[in-house]
Amino acid sequence: MSQEEEDFVLLESSDGYTFVVSKKIAIASGTLKTMLDEEAAFEEAKNKTCKIQQRGVILLKVIEYLAYKVQYAEFNAEDIKEDFSDRIDPYIALELLTAADFLEA
Amino acid sequence: MAMSMGAARRGKPKIRPPKRPTSETPIKDTWSKLAHAIREIQNHNASKLSYEEHYRYGYNMVLHKHGDQLYNGVKALISEHLDRLAEEKIVPTFPRSGGTRGAGKLGGGAEAIERALEGDRFLKAIKSAWEDHTGSMRKIRDILKYMDKGYSTANGLPLIYDVGLTLFLSHIIRSSKHPIHTHLISTLLSQVQLERDGETITRSTVRECTDILLRLNVPEREGGKTVYVTDFEPEFLRRSAEFYGLEAVEELDKNDAAQYLRRVERRLAEEADRTVHYLSTTTHPALQELLIANLLTPHLQSVLDMPGSGLVTMLDSDRLPDLRRLYTLYLKVPKDEGKTALRTALRADIEERGKAVNEGTIERNDAGPSTATIGQDDEDDPKGKGKAKSSSTSASPISNAINSALRWVQDVLDLKDKFDGILETAFMGDKQVQVSINEAFQSFINANPRAPEYLSLFIDENLKKGTKARSDIEIESALEKTIVLFRFLSDKDKFERYYKNHLARRLLYARSASDDSEKQMVTKLKMEMGFQFTQKLEGMFTDMRLSNESANSFRNYQNRHGTISIDLSVNVLTASYWPQPIVATSTCTFPSALQPAMETFQKYYDSRHSGRRLTWQGNLGTADVRVRFKNRSHDLNLSTHALVVLLLFEDSKAGDSLSYSEIKSSTDLPDADLIRTLQSLACAKFRVLSKIPKGRDVNPSDKFEFNESFTSPLARIKIMQVASKVESVKEREETQEMVDEERKHQVEACIVRIMKDRKTMSHNDLISEVAHQLSSRFSPSMSLIKKRIEGLIDREYLERTNDMGSYRYLA
Repeated sequence: MSQEEEDFVLLESSDGYTFVVSKKIAIASGTLKTMLDEEAAFEEAKNKTCKIQQRGVILLKVIEYLAYKVQYAEFNAEDIKEDFSDRIDPYIALELLTAADFLEA
Repeated sequence: MAMSMGAARRGKPKIRPPKRPTSETPIKDTWSKLAHAIREIQNHNASKLSYEEHYRYGYNMVLHKHGDQLYNGVKALISEHLDRLAEEKIVPTFPRSGGTRGAGKLGGGAEAIERALEGDRFLKAIKSAWEDHTGSMRKIRDILKYMDKGYSTANGLPLIYDVGLTLFLSHIIRSSKHPIHTHLISTLLSQVQLERDGETITRSTVRECTDILLRLNVPEREGGKTVYVTDFEPEFLRRSAEFYGLEAVEELDKNDAAQYLRRVERRLAEEADRTVHYLSTTTHPALQELLIANLLTPHLQSVLDMPGSGLVTMLDSDRLPDLRRLYTLYLKVPKDEGKTALRTALRADIEERGKAVNEGTIERNDAGPSTATIGQDDEDDPKGKGKAKSSSTSASPISNAINSALRWVQDVLDLKDKFDGILETAFMGDKQVQVSINEAFQSFINANPRAPEYLSLFIDENLKKGTKARSDIEIESALEKTIVLFRFLSDKDKFERYYKNHLARRLLYARSASDDSEKQMVTKLKMEMGFQFTQKLEGMFTDMRLSNESANSFRNYQNRHGTISIDLSVNVLTASYWPQPIVATSTCTFPSALQPAMETFQKYYDSRHSGRRLTWQGNLGTADVRVRFKNRSHDLNLSTHALVVLLLFEDSKAGDSLSYSEIKSSTDLPDADLIRTLQSLACAKFRVLSKIPKGRDVNPSDKFEFNESFTSPLARIKIMQVASKVESVKEREETQEMVDEERKHQVEACIVRIMKDRKTMSHNDLISEVAHQLSSRFSPSMSLIKKRIEGLIDREYLERTNDMGSYRYLA
């Protein structure tokens, strides 16, 4: 468990930003989870690097959401005080939606 | 919501639409890249592929409405790959032996090992193909995750992984190009067969292959069950049935019953183990059922009857583990068939043994010199009762008869012990089996007409003084067992009669070993049969107690009214409690020497009780008397009758003799009693009288004189009254008559009791009610009840009503 927590992966955006993310947070996305599945052993799992075809600003928001998701994973809905939608800039909303669909976030 | 709110707040409604991802790549290229990737996955090169990239291809194809192309394309790729797998990996490993093979044995030794290895290789190939396939399918599923989500589910198609399974079934297991299916099933079967024949096979391989079959489902239209259930199991069961059907016949021929059962047990365990380890546990019930149906059900009887090793032999030699195995196996046979067969056989066997016991006694009787014709002599035989056990030197017919009675009971008890033990340890105390055992005992015990007498004799032997030194506990347990046998008796009234006789003798001749044991026995009988049954027995005890108590008061009475010359102790018996032969009035003229004492007691008794009549019974008492012979005096203990006879010689001189008829006229004893008395005095061990001429039998022409020259090393001599213990044929007939007579009364009483209650009753109801009420004492015959009804109608207790077959009670 502790090892998994310390495990980090690299997420790379299409415009060249890289994010070092805890694997625990990354695999909150279904797509990233299969991508990093060590048993299936795709290239990404081997290199621990995922190239995501999204702009850095979108990817950043996605990671932020994944962290939010992990943080409140075990909470009841009524106990969650902050609303993630408050943090979304309408300008990127549609693009973010597409990314979410792709990443099963 | 959040977005629109945000937009409204900032007042900047212009939102840039996201660019459609990768619309720049043409679909055709996308597909060819994907197809390439899938092939790479199938060739185990997944690590060179970018998941993100191919996921995106799949994602785009679905998003751009090319889902069907993708779906079918992938299907085609998988099929192609599977065909190649079959071709390259599986076909070369086909076992030589081919797919069609009977259930017969597959040759042994090296060939069998070879075959096992071949089969194993083939199964391993199937297994590796399966693993290869499922491995790549997992990756393909991962890559095409979005297709499953966005296309397959949306269009009601199976997920791609399941498609892979279906394709594996149609392209490998049920391949139309290669006979994989036949090979697979027959190899599995032959692996099982090899193991059944004692070869070693690699169970894990078989397990993995059956797992594959269990994992795969046949198409819906074929029932949708697993391939294991549809393709393998029926064939497997058929082969097994065939195999075990043959094996049963073969093994029955080769082995004895115990070995056969052991084998069956082992087979059952093996097959159970098999289903757990490399078949499916769902097969277990069917397989066990099949084994039982083939190995046991058709052969239940032949195993039981197997000469030299069947049930009889197992019982003979107390082979408890074998019997237990037999029982547990037979219990498994459906519809209780096994148990029923076992019970029937057991019952027949016990009855056979019981018959042997019954015949054993009859034979032993016949072997002795005594039969019906010499019956009379039996009684007169000088050997006393108490000596029956010890008189081995000159085994007299009586002691023979007693011995055979005792032996019969002991044999029955031994038999009972044996079967109780077997029931407990081998048949787990099964109640139904117990019922059968009891029925068998009941049937053979009642087949012996003398059972009630023998049983009572056995009890007599145990309660009597001086037979064997036994501890109370032993006696207690012996009595406990006899009660068990008593339960089996149907003629309980007959037993009561004998028991009363024996008890009377024990009490009057003070032969009871212990009052406690006697009372315990009566209590036991009371518990079995209720108050009525033992009422008279208890009356007998009361008489004895009262007589003892009155002895003291009689002594006091003598102090006041003048003493008498002899020490007299009297047992006053209530005639109705005691058995008829004992209290039957017998004539006897008591000599003058005794008269005063008798009169004194008569007076004493009349003074205490009025309206009671005393009758003196000389045949029941004993007397102690000192007799002077030439050498010395001896104290003789003899019966009252013997004393009466002996007193006739009191004044006689040497050489004086009395003839039989003289003795008879002065004593007035009945012939039978007199002969017996004379025999005990003149022909037995201690001959205080001499008979002229000498001989064992007493004839009316004989003369007797006092034997002055009698010598004996003992100062005190007990002269036994000869009395038969086992009944002679004639006596037995008499007893039977008396029993029959009493039964008549009981039946009548019972009829009246019932009719008084019911007033009117139909013939059949009445008969069954009577039979039921009397069943605890004896089983009345139909004709007996009918006759009694007639009798009661004649005496106007009952009348026939107008409708046929009914009776009315006339108050």
